[in-house]
Amino acid sequence: MTAQAPPGRPKPPNTIKIDGREIPFEPGDTIIRAAWRQGVEIPHYCWHPGLSIAANCRMCLVELPPPAGRPAMKLDVLQWDPVKKDYTFSNKPKLQPACQQGCSPGMEVLSESSKHVADARAAVQELLLLNHPVDCPICDQAGECRLQDYWLEHSRKGKRMKQEVVHKPKAVSFGPTIVYDAERCIVCTRCVRFCDEIAKDPVLDVRERGNLNEITVSPGRQLDNNYTLMTEHVCPVGALTSKDFRFKARVWFLRTARTICQGCSTGCNAYLDFDPRSNAPHRHRPRDNKDVNQYWMCDLGMLSYKDAIEGRLLEASVGTGPASIDDAISAAKDLLGNVAQRPEKVAVILSAQHSLEDNWALFTLAKTYLGVERFFVTGKPLGKGDEVLLSEDRNPNTAGVLKLCEGNPPRALGDLLKMADEFDTVLALGGHVEVDAKELGQALKGKKVVVVSSHVGPLSKLAKVALPACSWAETDATFVNKKGRVQSSERALHPRGSATPGWQLIGKLGRALGFATSWRKLSEVRKAMTGGEPASISGKQTEATA
Amino acid sequence: MSTDTENTPWMKPRSGDFTTKKVERPTRDFEVQSYLPAVTKGLVQTMGAFFKNTKEMILGQKKDPVIESLSWGITTISYPEEKRPYTDRFRGLHRLTIRDDGSPRCVACLCCSTACPAQCIHIEAGEYSEGDPRRGYERYPAKFVIDELRCIFCGFCVEACPCDAIRMDTGLHAVPYDSREQFIYGKDLLMGMTGRDGSRLTENPRHEPGDPDHPGIDRERAH
Repeated sequence: MTAQAPPGRPKPPNTIKIDGREIPFEPGDTIIRAAWRQGVEIPHYCWHPGLSIAANCRMCLVELPPPAGRPAMKLDVLQWDPVKKDYTFSNKPKLQPACQQGCSPGMEVLSESSKHVADARAAVQELLLLNHPVDCPICDQAGECRLQDYWLEHSRKGKRMKQEVVHKPKAVSFGPTIVYDAERCIVCTRCVRFCDEIAKDPVLDVRERGNLNEITVSPGRQLDNNYTLMTEHVCPVGALTSKDFRFKARVWFLRTARTICQGCSTGCNAYLDFDPRSNAPHRHRPRDNKDVNQYWMCDLGMLSYKDAIEGRLLEASVGTGPASIDDAISAAKDLLGNVAQRPEKVAVILSAQHSLEDNWALFTLAKTYLGVERFFVTGKPLGKGDEVLLSEDRNPNTAGVLKLCEGNPPRALGDLLKMADEFDTVLALGGHVEVDAKELGQALKGKKVVVVSSHVGPLSKLAKVALPACSWAETDATFVNKKGRVQSSERALHPRGSATPGWQLIGKLGRALGFATSWRKLSEVRKAMTGGEPASISGKQTEATA
Repeated sequence: MSTDTENTPWMKPRSGDFTTKKVERPTRDFEVQSYLPAVTKGLVQTMGAFFKNTKEMILGQKKDPVIESLSWGITTISYPEEKRPYTDRFRGLHRLTIRDDGSPRCVACLCCSTACPAQCIHIEAGEYSEGDPRRGYERYPAKFVIDELRCIFCGFCVEACPCDAIRMDTGLHAVPYDSREQFIYGKDLLMGMTGRDGSRLTENPRHEPGDPDHPGIDRERAH
């Protein structure tokens, strides 16, 4: 592929021509990958940029004209002549799958411009739909289905086969999360290859041959690894559907926000699909980012969209009773009293669950205005990680908190339990803790605890005053993943209950206590975070590639 | 068509065939000024019409409203008792068609809800339980709600339906109810409505999944 130019002659540039358009390629690229990099679509089912090449769907066939002076490879065909009303001998060029054909400098490729390619694509499309049940009305893939899209683009014909279609198993449960419909399956083997290559759990395979073949799970096994929902995501048709999303929504009603997964510290880039009419989140999908998650996400992350509604702290509370936010803030002011006079008695707990903005606001209020020196950090307890994406640290912003407190690293919450007697006041962010809730309850007994949290947890239950913060889905937020990459997340939903962005609540609390916590807008917070003192987040605000 | 062409005061005049009649102002004589005689006269006329109409209604002597509307003259009808015939394609209240076993034909695809410009259709899909022959082939509407107040009776839902499950052939229109809640039609009410001929089934039968005499081949039968 990287043809060495003979000495004395200039090396041709690494470009190919697709329909006359110059496309640069990198050594080792196939035609489809080079085109995909440039945003040129060559229709395909089985090819996926993150998976190996199978070349079994034949949708990406392209015509490669022979080099000058060389004969084209031709195939003899019988062609219907509408004038003679008979079949006549003819020939056509042998087409090549663009997903398998490597690029060589100066290569010419005919895709849209070749009639033979258009015919081949229409024929492939007709073949794939021969035994398809065409049950789009009840199929969750409808609206984002390749079969639908390509039928419109390349076929637009009714079915000519009059016979009854082949019937295959329907609604087969593959495991706790996935349902398989063999009739809709085009056996592109993307799911099989995904399990083999990415999840490293070769649990799926193809059985039978021809029009009877179908995907099957290994005997005695279930599809129950950490990446089962990805098989549904890579499925270009509606054969694999997720039990969680099944029949819940039609995709054309959903809108999408670019968010960051909250499942662990890997910080996978995700799309959060939500229904704007009911303000309800419906699913997480991976957003391609070759530096973080490539094309993948784990089940835990894909199901973590539920955290936008489940276990939320939606109303402020004072003591055990509910209160309005203003009442709760004035109660917090009374509770804290002259807190600035005794900063050594104040413990500040930052949260690895909350965004950088929320943590920065609490950090700034405590450090700059109260003069607090001792910070702690908490979050969800460690879980089991794996070698693909899932980290043990189940908090999306641990690195952000550590970076915020650079030079004076925050201690773990376990230390607070040991030296609880030194404090009488606790300012905390986030509800979840990694320590035992009972021990925490004993340690914080009788202390003045003010908590700003998006979710209910041991900490928010112990709070004398609890303030409801927005979850990541309800506000623009910034998170730092474990590699120190600063990533922003977009707002998807309207805040539920009386949830308010955490940095806003902390700013209000600061003002109630008589400090000039002047930030009122997200842009002010971000400006102060990146440029002002004392926060020193110097990492570049990186926008993931969509 | 009525052959009655003479000009009577209760009939619409033929176009271009106007006759004028000068009506004198009533004089303010004693009979008028004393009020009661004039009122009595008026009441006699009203009650006369009332009894005449009642008698005609009971005995069925009223003219056919269609014939009457075609003829020259009075075109009003006594609405709640008499109704004008609607055309065959009149779009009335919705109904959900049912299959032979009484279950809804609707598969909760939400095509009607998508097509609806008034956004008055709310559907929640349910899945047939394990072991049901329809499981995997179809789903059903766990909830199917139409807000008949919001509906603009455009008929797009009927056009969009791939299963002939929703129709607007009841020949009815929403009558005034006491409260808004009564305009919210649920699945059971919609399935209980019939077409204008009183039938509940649709004319196009459907192939039910899981038929034992399925013409297609499958893995077991192929070998």
